[in-house]
Amino acid sequence: MINKNKGLWSFNFSTMALVLIPVSIGINYVGKLFAQTLKLPLWLDSIGTILAGILAGPWVGAISGAINNIIYGLTVSPVSFAYGITSVAIGIVAGLMARMGFLKNTKRAFIMGLAIVGVATVVSTPINIYFWGGQTGNIWGDALFGFLRSQNWPVWLASGLDEFVVDLPDKIATTLIAFGIYKGLPERITVLFDES
Amino acid sequence: MRSISLYVAKDSLIHKIDPITKLIYTSVSVISPFIMPTILVASIFVLANLVILALGKVLKKVIPIISFVVLIIVTIFLIQGMFYGGNQTELFTIFSLTFYLEGLTYALRIALRAINILLTFSILILTAKPSELIESMVRRGLSPKIGYVMHSVLQIIPIMSSKASTIMDAQKSRGMETEGNLWVRMKAFIPLIGPLVMNSLVDTHQRSLALEVRSFSAETKKTFLNEEELPAGMKYLRILFVMILIAVIVWRISL
Repeated sequence: MINKNKGLWSFNFSTMALVLIPVSIGINYVGKLFAQTLKLPLWLDSIGTILAGILAGPWVGAISGAINNIIYGLTVSPVSFAYGITSVAIGIVAGLMARMGFLKNTKRAFIMGLAIVGVATVVSTPINIYFWGGQTGNIWGDALFGFLRSQNWPVWLASGLDEFVVDLPDKIATTLIAFGIYKGLPERITVLFDES
Repeated sequence: MRSISLYVAKDSLIHKIDPITKLIYTSVSVISPFIMPTILVASIFVLANLVILALGKVLKKVIPIISFVVLIIVTIFLIQGMFYGGNQTELFTIFSLTFYLEGLTYALRIALRAINILLTFSILILTAKPSELIESMVRRGLSPKIGYVMHSVLQIIPIMSSKASTIMDAQKSRGMETEGNLWVRMKAFIPLIGPLVMNSLVDTHQRSLALEVRSFSAETKKTFLNEEELPAGMKYLRILFVMILIAVIVWRISL
């Protein structure tokens, strides 16, 4: 049975979508693991969240992002609790834009990556200001932050740019990788999540 | 297979406390320094947390968790000490870099608050077993489906990491370069993550069938495998924590 009018926000919490969530969190984890093993200057730790959004819609993307950070917070690194909101936002944007047709070609996927960078920056900056006085913990980003502050730029702008330069390469690469993987998936698999 | 959890099984007073009481303490200890943003309040909670961690015999295990943020805390002191907006009182100058009292005080406040949050969650992370924590949250109204997802994450991550190293070995044996310049290493990422994603997504189909065969989505009341036992005195401990929070709020309002 194929549902023709699939709304942007339609919610479909099937067992398939449910088992996708732990897998997507596992993909986040392994993406980060591979990036570390290959000594890449990126985190690549939200491939799974973006894929979950693409495959099963914004809500599943959001839940996958939230649980990802809750589990990390409870098991490895408490700071990730606060950034749960960022993960949720990334999942939602990925899900919405996938349904709006931003996965047709690489150029559009790149725009989707930019949108994710923008949203991640807007959501993370207040958290950075609240927790760390505006820093991100990335040396290059924080060097920029320090420089801009010494030039008397306002905190929110300096902090926003700090987050932006850190997120820009990482989130665009992450989105393009997720896009590439999605394009490579056989239809036999993607259709399972579409309408189950 | 290595679990991702940092939980340390030990026989201590703190380990005997049930997860929900720990959760209540966690929220009180994290929220209080935000309600009453003084260095004193944050320091009190930092000290209390250190004592609790020592009682739980896990003080040493905190070091790797804290070391994560040492660098950022150092840079907070540097940047805020020099460039904080309200800087007025000059404190000292090294190599023609001037540090100000206001900025350093602000940095100290942020650093204490951050360390307090880390220590508080360390208590939860190191002394509460994740599966028990999830189970007691499901008992108190968390959807069993979400509970399943969380349990499942804890199990799937070790499985997927061992799959990851299998794939790594397989691709290396086919001649994939994992060292060299940035472009070579970037290119290696796709043949590593691709098979893993494919593999795991195929597994999800099987897993969902296996769940459905066992009536996973049945609309009946779910039962628990283990019975919950609450150690004596937990009720009073919980009341005490809530009273501390109320005291902090009253203190704040009365200022």
